[in-house]
Amino acid sequence: MMKNEVLKNWIEQYSEPLLKKAFYLLSDKEEAQDIVQDVFIAAFSSYDSFGGKSQPLTWLMAILKRKVADFYRKKYRSEPNIRLDHFFDETGSWKNNDVLNDWNAAGKESELLDDQDFNKTLEECMEELPSRWKILLKMYYIEEKKAPEVSQEFNVSTTNLWKILQRSRMQLRECLEFNWFSRL
Amino acid sequence: MTMVKKVLHLLFLPCSEATLLMEKRNAQAISSKENWKLSMHLMICKWCKMYNKKLALLDTLFKKTLSEKESEIKESDIQDFKNRMIEKLDF
Repeated sequence: MMKNEVLKNWIEQYSEPLLKKAFYLLSDKEEAQDIVQDVFIAAFSSYDSFGGKSQPLTWLMAILKRKVADFYRKKYRSEPNIRLDHFFDETGSWKNNDVLNDWNAAGKESELLDDQDFNKTLEECMEELPSRWKILLKMYYIEEKKAPEVSQEFNVSTTNLWKILQRSRMQLRECLEFNWFSRL
Repeated sequence: MTMVKKVLHLLFLPCSEATLLMEKRNAQAISSKENWKLSMHLMICKWCKMYNKKLALLDTLFKKTLSEKESEIKESDIQDFKNRMIEKLDF
């Protein structure tokens, strides 16, 4: 098949999974469309290096991840400003005792994941994070928690990566505490 | 928190830093000295001990869900995108 034909097929077949993934990562439809457009343009111009060694979607997803990293580096140039004073006092001790509430009563994680309402709450809590942290948190797990790789691709120091993960997770814990576990 | 506890916390490690070290330990990027400090801290601090348990649960949940997730997009938006894309690449 000709290159043009192949690319046209790819656009037909893979626009949907790429757009959905990009929208998930960026939480913005316009930005998701722009980035998937860039993915296809990049695939078109470097088609010769594809060589059919992997599945086309795997290759396109890899390009998408690189584009998301590019997007992140361009958008967030300054050092992140991470404050913990919502959670800790001036001595660095916990301000509130709600962290002490026991989650065990809520059941095992497999049961939690099967619970649609819980998943919805988790997603809503996730969406409340600033997009800068959210992208990193998601990519950190997509890249199987390889901190050095994520830190290099996204051009954040590992120290800042830890801080962003810490701050995001503190907020998610609190959000789940109030919106799920304390309501059971 | 009592004064004694506050002093103990500061002596070893404040909670604000202990929770950062938990992230490093979680990613197996913690030094042995930090690991020791964190372990000591977790022995005396019930707040961080509980947070650490919750963090482990969050980590398991994220490992299972975050890498596979995607967001829904309307069928018509996807179709519009395909049309624009094919037009743009001038096939």
